[in-house]
Amino acid sequence: MSANYSEWLAINVLNEEHLISYRSLSRALKVHSNLAKQMLYDFHRKQNAKRPGSVHATYLISGTKHAQAPQSNGYADHDGEDTAMQSSPPLPSSSMPQEENHEAERIVVRSMLLVKEEQLEQAKATFEAITGIHIYSLQAKGLSDIHSLTECNRKIAVDYASEDPLLGWKQYGTIQNPNVKRRSQKRQPPPPAPAPEVARPRPKPAAVERQASKDSQDSKTAAQPPPVKANPELNKRSLPRQSSEIFKSFAKGKSKDRKAESQSSAEASPALKPQDEPMADFSDEEADEHGEDIVEEVPKVTDGKSKSDREAELQAMMEQEDEIMQDAADAIPDKGASAEDDEDDAIDKPEAKTEDETKESVAVENGRRRGRRRVIKKKTVKDEDGYLVTREEPAWESYSEEEPAPKKVKVTPALPAVNIAKAAGGKKGGKPGQGNIMSFFSKK
Amino acid sequence: MKDDDLLSAPSDQQYVSLERTASTYTPLATYNLPKGENRHYQQQYADMYFARLAQLKPAVEKLASEAWAEFEIAGETALRKDRVLDVRQGELCWVAGTVYMEMPLKPNVLEDIGKEHWIAAPPPRIKYDSGIGLGIMLEDESGRLRLTGGFLHECLLVTGAIVAVVGTENKDGDFEVLDLRVPDLPRQPVRWELEDGNGALNGKATQEVRPTAGKVAIVSGLAISGDEGDTLLLDLLLEYLLGECAEPSMQGDAAKVSRLIIAGNSLSNSSPIPTREEVVAASKKSGRKIYGYDSSSYNAAPTDRFDQWLAALLPSMPVTLLPGEQDPTSTSLPQPPIHAAMFPHARAYMSLPQAREDASWFDSTTNPAEFNVDGFRFLGTGGQPVDDVYKYISDCEERLEMMEAMLRWRLTAPTAPDTLWCYPFQDGDQFVMKECPHIFFVGNQPKFETAVIEGPVGQQVRLVAVPKFRDTGELVIVDVETLVPEVVKFEIFEEG
Repeated sequence: MSANYSEWLAINVLNEEHLISYRSLSRALKVHSNLAKQMLYDFHRKQNAKRPGSVHATYLISGTKHAQAPQSNGYADHDGEDTAMQSSPPLPSSSMPQEENHEAERIVVRSMLLVKEEQLEQAKATFEAITGIHIYSLQAKGLSDIHSLTECNRKIAVDYASEDPLLGWKQYGTIQNPNVKRRSQKRQPPPPAPAPEVARPRPKPAAVERQASKDSQDSKTAAQPPPVKANPELNKRSLPRQSSEIFKSFAKGKSKDRKAESQSSAEASPALKPQDEPMADFSDEEADEHGEDIVEEVPKVTDGKSKSDREAELQAMMEQEDEIMQDAADAIPDKGASAEDDEDDAIDKPEAKTEDETKESVAVENGRRRGRRRVIKKKTVKDEDGYLVTREEPAWESYSEEEPAPKKVKVTPALPAVNIAKAAGGKKGGKPGQGNIMSFFSKK
Repeated sequence: MKDDDLLSAPSDQQYVSLERTASTYTPLATYNLPKGENRHYQQQYADMYFARLAQLKPAVEKLASEAWAEFEIAGETALRKDRVLDVRQGELCWVAGTVYMEMPLKPNVLEDIGKEHWIAAPPPRIKYDSGIGLGIMLEDESGRLRLTGGFLHECLLVTGAIVAVVGTENKDGDFEVLDLRVPDLPRQPVRWELEDGNGALNGKATQEVRPTAGKVAIVSGLAISGDEGDTLLLDLLLEYLLGECAEPSMQGDAAKVSRLIIAGNSLSNSSPIPTREEVVAASKKSGRKIYGYDSSSYNAAPTDRFDQWLAALLPSMPVTLLPGEQDPTSTSLPQPPIHAAMFPHARAYMSLPQAREDASWFDSTTNPAEFNVDGFRFLGTGGQPVDDVYKYISDCEERLEMMEAMLRWRLTAPTAPDTLWCYPFQDGDQFVMKECPHIFFVGNQPKFETAVIEGPVGQQVRLVAVPKFRDTGELVIVDVETLVPEVVKFEIFEEG
């Protein structure tokens, strides 16, 4: 293999005009780096004997330099010596005396100097003693920028990346280390992150769908299947930031909530007026106050259950499912109004219509809103069998509250497009995402 | 084969690969921060000073009481006072406390805010001391005492150092200092003490004969910037350490280097926190925020280059990596290790975080860091503490003196938290040295310097100021058996 190095070098240096360092040669021919250095020398000598100046070399000189070498950028003056200090403990400062009389310990400084062929003699002169010199690289023409030599090593890193250094590098003369510890299975670079937030909510839209279809049956209103179908898509897309747990509980609970409400409201107002405003009102109230009511109540309910009646537990658990959902559903809008926006889509349409705005009066004065609204209250009663039964009942309450807090409005930018679309086209298309809480806020 | 044979035609000679000297390495978790939820940043920094004083007061008082037991002026012996406020006017006494330096040019948070209104910012300060308005105080939990006296001018003092002073309070209410004591070097472990102790715990017999230790190479300030033309020296360094370049005798020397320690600033300008000026400049230029990922300005090349460089070196030698001021990790001391995610190639040589039975081959560690190499205790920093101490002391360029002072104060970062960012330690100041190292190295210093200092009970510490490789091309190699350093300098011959 080493016999044909001249050929290889001729091709790469003369024909291809590559920069070839001893390392590239040793890698290419799988020879020891010291042998590669000799090959470079041999090739350089022979070629230049044939045609002077045809191959240009850089040399690496090692040795010790003169103490006052011109290249030593002011370094040689002081740092070659070591002042062995005797410490006098008392003071940090006084314990570091500049004892000039102390004989300076000579610190060995060895230099490795990379130099172009034409400056070789000049460079050699700066050395006090040269311990070794070898050809670092060869190139066909003169080297304009010596820094381009770094390309050789970069190429090696790229071309021989697949080589196992622990096995292959021995032949290049790399110092071997028997103690090296490397993890056995190289971990593959992880695949591109699979946008987890988008992927995870998948189950939830399904739940919504299921609930939604129930809804449409229960409330004998004109349910619109296509929008319902479209929902999951929208949810997935528009809810990238929502944590999945929150979303899940919210999605289900919300639907149940809706079920209850749509049942009652369906009876209440058979005349369906497709309008945005009531919907918004409804959402708003739920977000603002209703939630708090329920949150306060629910813990009591569960407490009472566990304390009062042990045997009722099973039965209670059946219902608890509903309660918890409700709880979550109501609690969350407080925190994340945006979640509600995303939820309020075409499924809500029936309810939106059934929510009669005449029954809910809202008056705004002095920055406060007053009015009556309907909320769902939970009542826990013992039935004739002694079981605890929790019922959700609509009740009216009057309220007065501050104008919507600005922090809720902050969330609005999430769905400006939907708002605009709504404002413009009404609800003609049964567009998913309509009737969201933000449309209410933005209009105020 | 002779060394000059490299300039000759290839012969039939067989070259063999050398084998590297083994390195016994025990990392110490001295500067690891609490993990996860236990790491809080709500605490007050005042607690650190209390803890520090509590930890170091006994040591300094012991030394002081020995030294000043016979301290007598005009028939009056110096009395010991427990608190600085107990000092009475005209009474010769001594007291211990924390030094606080009042310096007009010290960074000030209010000034930082005011900076936004400046038309032209003042030049960056090299020293905090402006020559006027300097006030040195001694502080403990009871109060403060202003120190004065000509003696202080000879002392090297910074905020945070624990000292004992003897003297009297003059009529101005200032304390005239006549003498001063510092805690001095702590106990120094015997070589192999920790390893033998661990071995005994694990039921292994003490190793009677240990292999002769090799050398340890220390480099700092590689400052890989991704620019063209600054990496050739890095290549030479790599080739030297791998034992590929130079003549066989040099390669033999390289084979004795059993470990590489990188003492900070491996990357240039990759600190995660831009300075106020950078933020302003960036927002002016692009109108975009500098925080967060900006693909147009983010350059992965330096990190990638560094990773490749390490990955090429690691098959041949173990590496200990300390972060520095410019490295991509937290900026407050102690800096946590540079995360493995930065090293997609080199991390194959790191042990998994779960498997803690052995030291990593590639040990990305904290800054400061403490570890044992071949039985000797190494203590090193990326250079920030010394650089900050430097700013306190006017007319002093002696980095070694500052390093020595830090050891004698028993503080790895004396000026934290006053002028150096640090984690608000709650239960004890981690920067208090509990054991005296054998080698104290500090990275990113202007030039290579070394000295040996001695402690009161015969401790010997080798101080090594490691220069910036980017500026000097110097690699420091310390012989672990003798603790004598030498330098290998990589250069490129420029027209001259």
